[in-house]
Amino acid sequence: MTPLQQYLALSIALFFIGSWGVLARRNIILIVMCVELMLNAINIALVAFSNYSPTGAGRGEVFVFFVFALAAAEAAIGLAIAIAMYRLKERLSIGDFDEMKG
Amino acid sequence: MPESQQTAFILLSILILTSAFCVVLFRNLIYSALSMIGCFLGVAGIFILLHAELVAAAQVLIYVGAISVLVIFAIMLTGHRAGDLRLFFHKQAWVAVPICAVAGIALMVVMATANYNATKDAQNPSDDAIASLLFNEYAFPFELVSLALLVAMVGAVILAMKEKK
Repeated sequence: MTPLQQYLALSIALFFIGSWGVLARRNIILIVMCVELMLNAINIALVAFSNYSPTGAGRGEVFVFFVFALAAAEAAIGLAIAIAMYRLKERLSIGDFDEMKG
Repeated sequence: MPESQQTAFILLSILILTSAFCVVLFRNLIYSALSMIGCFLGVAGIFILLHAELVAAAQVLIYVGAISVLVIFAIMLTGHRAGDLRLFFHKQAWVAVPICAVAGIALMVVMATANYNATKDAQNPSDDAIASLLFNEYAFPFELVSLALLVAMVGAVILAMKEKK
């Protein structure tokens, strides 16, 4: 395995652990945390490609900064929604929030 | 990779993957948040191995500093009860394991067989080069992202604000 492939393998493993967490857990805050793990996996892949690319050096890192900013925005909004939901129902299990079911 | 870097990579991978599993498996949300911090620190180490020191510093500042504190505050502000496993894990948890495993293995196979045209050594440029990329070529996306952050901040304040009676 080349070094690039090692970093990509780590990234894929972390991404799918995060997606398992998103699918398996009930608590909304924990789902937000698992989405953060998945975004971190993406960042590893971006920096690895940026590091081993013969031409586009540094562009991956620029995109990682954009991902950082949007992850921070996503965490703030997601946790604010979680707190608002908790205030509404005193619960945070995703099964309790099915009002928008068609 | 040199021998020492290889060892560091393996140790950091073990840290990242075990703490990621702990995030999913712990029943106490505070423990999950703490293992999430461990995972973020491991990813910062990986960035240093990849010669992206600026990104590693930003990772520590933003994830370990800001997002973890935000998550821990949210956990403290909401109650969570101890109890049966069914309270924590969804009914579909055991179906999700093979789905994620199969998708992950398929992606691994694609990754292992692809032709990358990659260089052997590090190519990541200095912080100056990244800054000039960010503020020249990517100036417009940078401004868009700052606008998105502003909108998210206002939205989060409005969502979390108590309604006036």
